[in-house]
Amino acid sequence: MANFLVWCVWVGAAFCCLASALAVVSFSNPFFSALALIGNLASLAVLYLLLGGEFVAAAQVLVYGGAVMVMFLFVIAYLGDKTDQAPWASGPSWQAAATVLAAAAILTEIIVAVALSTGGGLAHSRPISGSFGSPASIGRLFLTDHLIAFEVTSIVLLVAAVGGVVLGSHARSLEGDARS
Amino acid sequence: MRLIDAAAWVCLLAPLSACAAITLGGERLTRRACGVISSATTVVAFAAAVAAFARMLAEPGGRRAHTTSSWTWLQAGKYHFGLTLLTDQLSVMMMLIVAGVGSLIVAYSVGYMDGEDEERRYFAYMSLFVFSMLLLVQSGNLLLLLAGWGMVGLSSYLLIGFYQQRPEAIAAAKKAFVMNAFGDATMALALFLLIEHTGRLDFASVFSHAPRHGTLATLIALGLLGGAVAKSAQIPLHTWLPDAMEGPTPVSALIHAATMVTAGVYLIVRTHPLFENARAVEDLAAGLGAATLLMAGLIALVQVDIKRVIAYSTMSQIGYMFVGAGIGAYPSAMFHLMTHAFFKALLFLSAGIVIHALGGEQDVRRMGGLGRALPFTRAVFAVGTLALVGVPPFAGFFSKDSIIAATLTRGAFGDCLFAVCLAGAFLTGLYSLRLYLLVFGGAQSEFAAEHLHRPAGRLEAAPSMIWTVAVLAVGATVAGFLQFAEVWHPLTTWLAPVAAPLSEATNRQEAVASVASVGLGLAGMSVAYALYGGAQPRRLPRPLALLVQGFYWDQLYAAIFYRPAELAAQGLARFVEAPLIAGSIGELSRGFRLGSGELGRVQNGLVRSYVLAIASGVAVLAVVFLSTR
Amino acid sequence: MHGPDVTWYVVLAAVLFVIGALGVLVRRSPLIILLSVEIMLNGSNLALIAFARHVGREDGQIFAIAVMAIAASEVVVGLGLIVAMGRRNVELDVDKLRTLRG
Repeated sequence: MANFLVWCVWVGAAFCCLASALAVVSFSNPFFSALALIGNLASLAVLYLLLGGEFVAAAQVLVYGGAVMVMFLFVIAYLGDKTDQAPWASGPSWQAAATVLAAAAILTEIIVAVALSTGGGLAHSRPISGSFGSPASIGRLFLTDHLIAFEVTSIVLLVAAVGGVVLGSHARSLEGDARS
Repeated sequence: MRLIDAAAWVCLLAPLSACAAITLGGERLTRRACGVISSATTVVAFAAAVAAFARMLAEPGGRRAHTTSSWTWLQAGKYHFGLTLLTDQLSVMMMLIVAGVGSLIVAYSVGYMDGEDEERRYFAYMSLFVFSMLLLVQSGNLLLLLAGWGMVGLSSYLLIGFYQQRPEAIAAAKKAFVMNAFGDATMALALFLLIEHTGRLDFASVFSHAPRHGTLATLIALGLLGGAVAKSAQIPLHTWLPDAMEGPTPVSALIHAATMVTAGVYLIVRTHPLFENARAVEDLAAGLGAATLLMAGLIALVQVDIKRVIAYSTMSQIGYMFVGAGIGAYPSAMFHLMTHAFFKALLFLSAGIVIHALGGEQDVRRMGGLGRALPFTRAVFAVGTLALVGVPPFAGFFSKDSIIAATLTRGAFGDCLFAVCLAGAFLTGLYSLRLYLLVFGGAQSEFAAEHLHRPAGRLEAAPSMIWTVAVLAVGATVAGFLQFAEVWHPLTTWLAPVAAPLSEATNRQEAVASVASVGLGLAGMSVAYALYGGAQPRRLPRPLALLVQGFYWDQLYAAIFYRPAELAAQGLARFVEAPLIAGSIGELSRGFRLGSGELGRVQNGLVRSYVLAIASGVAVLAVVFLSTR
Repeated sequence: MHGPDVTWYVVLAAVLFVIGALGVLVRRSPLIILLSVEIMLNGSNLALIAFARHVGREDGQIFAIAVMAIAASEVVVGLGLIVAMGRRNVELDVDKLRTLRG
């Protein structure tokens, strides 16, 4: 019974995930694309929960959905009209064919790799404890094994913040030039 | 160090020090000072040679050869060659001739080249030449001789091309050098064969260990003969000598009359054991000498440049020396070499006085009747002419006749040589008196009347020119008394330990030869007098083109060697150089430009294509990783 | 373990990744391209977390959290660029931005 339930949840989440991803790629209006991405993030959070990553799921929704997507929507709203130009790719047809070919090749290769290399070994996962993926264990790992990653990430975030400020200030001085 | 060895070194190094001093001194020395340095050192060399000679006289005949070495020049495995000087009877004779006549000629040049722009360079080269020639005759092994051989060729090149602004002079210098280089190559090949066979190059060992007969001996002798023929301007390597008259007159006297061109004769006499091992080559040498003396005599009959007549005369007289060396009459050949040095230098230097007096004119057709204006020169020129023709008691009589007499001792081949030598004597008389009469006889030509100028004072030319010519005239008169047949032959005795003649003529043969050659010489002179003597010039038949063109040897060589080389060079330039070599570089750069243009189209600025490239790369790499697991 | 095993999750992550790659390759608006990049990052995150579950250690999840942080910073810079372009009235068309050509 529990198995069946899990399977149902999985199928639903997977379906939403793929549908919203396709929607992101194919809508012409970027606003709708951004909304579709939010749906994608939500379904992914469900999948993370199924895999035992509670903290990651929460972080996904909070960080991605709450911060990143809000930023996106902000910018799309700010730019308004300017975002509605020439949505689809043009160029020589051989490029389109090559694109499809490359994408298909990558997909096939990954599937083959997963199937071949593991040879069914992925079917049996190790048992996990109850505190798998809990904030406590994630926190402990961050502060012991992966401390450097933790610190470097914070520096990267700082740099990005500075970069954002700089880009914003550039825009202001340029606006001043455009007016004068 | 013994006196003889010290004298040998002084003799060799004095002219070299003059060359070095003049070269290093440059403009710090006055022009006159350079001339004085050069002639003084040559006189010092002569004094050293005299000292060595005097010391050698005191020693018994068999023990007169002295060698002295300084350092090892070349040591390769079992081969060992040193800087060895040999002072023996033959080399001291050559030292005396070279240094003696050389010092007179260098002293003459002080007056002749006075006022030239490049006088210092001239005297440096003259000293270099004297050093090289002395090195050649004093060397104790064949390698050093080859070094001296090459250096005299170099000095000759430098001095022929002395008037650098004249293209004819440069061309003549190149021609002389290239032809001599051919001879140097054959000589080097002979030396290689000798080293291969004997492992040594010093004279004593080479002569005792060389192959006695067979192909190897013939090849060695042939190689040496090639060098001798090139240096001495015999057929077939003779065409450079008439052109070499582009050099200043003292150069023609010293290098191309008295010393360098006689180096071939010296070589044959010095290495006569090697030649005696190959009789065929000896006969070849004599034959070439005979052919040359006849051909040169004929050509000299029609030449109109005063120096060219004397040049062909030199070629002819060296032919006599080759005949003498080829039949084994080595002392006779050396004797003729000595007397020839005197009277040929005399002829050249007095011609130089005439040329100076006429302001550089050398064409005989414009001369005439200069005897009244230049009596001294006329007198010494007459002495030289008589010595050349071989009229007793002048020097040429004794030396030439000893060679002609020796040909009678060699059977049928010798008799042919005898006939040719007599014909040559007739021609010598003819062209010599012709030259004398055209220059000095008859009425004064208009050209001479206009252009003749003498320096102020009683002398006809600069003092140094006058006294040196006088000394040479005395030499040309008395030098012949050194040897006369079997009656009185100190020279043969002197040279016997080194170069004993293969056969000696009897008194009867000497008498026959003398009478015949003198008679024919006088006959030639009388024919010349009939044609060219007298006050009025007679109408003469036009000279044969064959003779004027020198039997077309130059044209033959141009057709065989020069023209094909020229065609090959042009062909290569057009079909290989332009399209392949130069064109390939152009094609290479064009290809690169095209290729880089095509490659540049990849960078079109579109982010999408770059990402596509990355994605494709990832796909390919994934395949690679999967397949190599 | 209940439900599908890790293989399914990995295949799903691969498909997500490829959909994101297609979006990057065929869309011309830089905004959509950024969104597609986000999809690709999410795909790889899913694969990481799936493998973390398979191995039984949370290192993969840590990696995924770091990826999220980096993705956030990248979005900041990218959106800043797009805003700057919009302010200067540069056309938001990747095909027209060709100044960096060879």
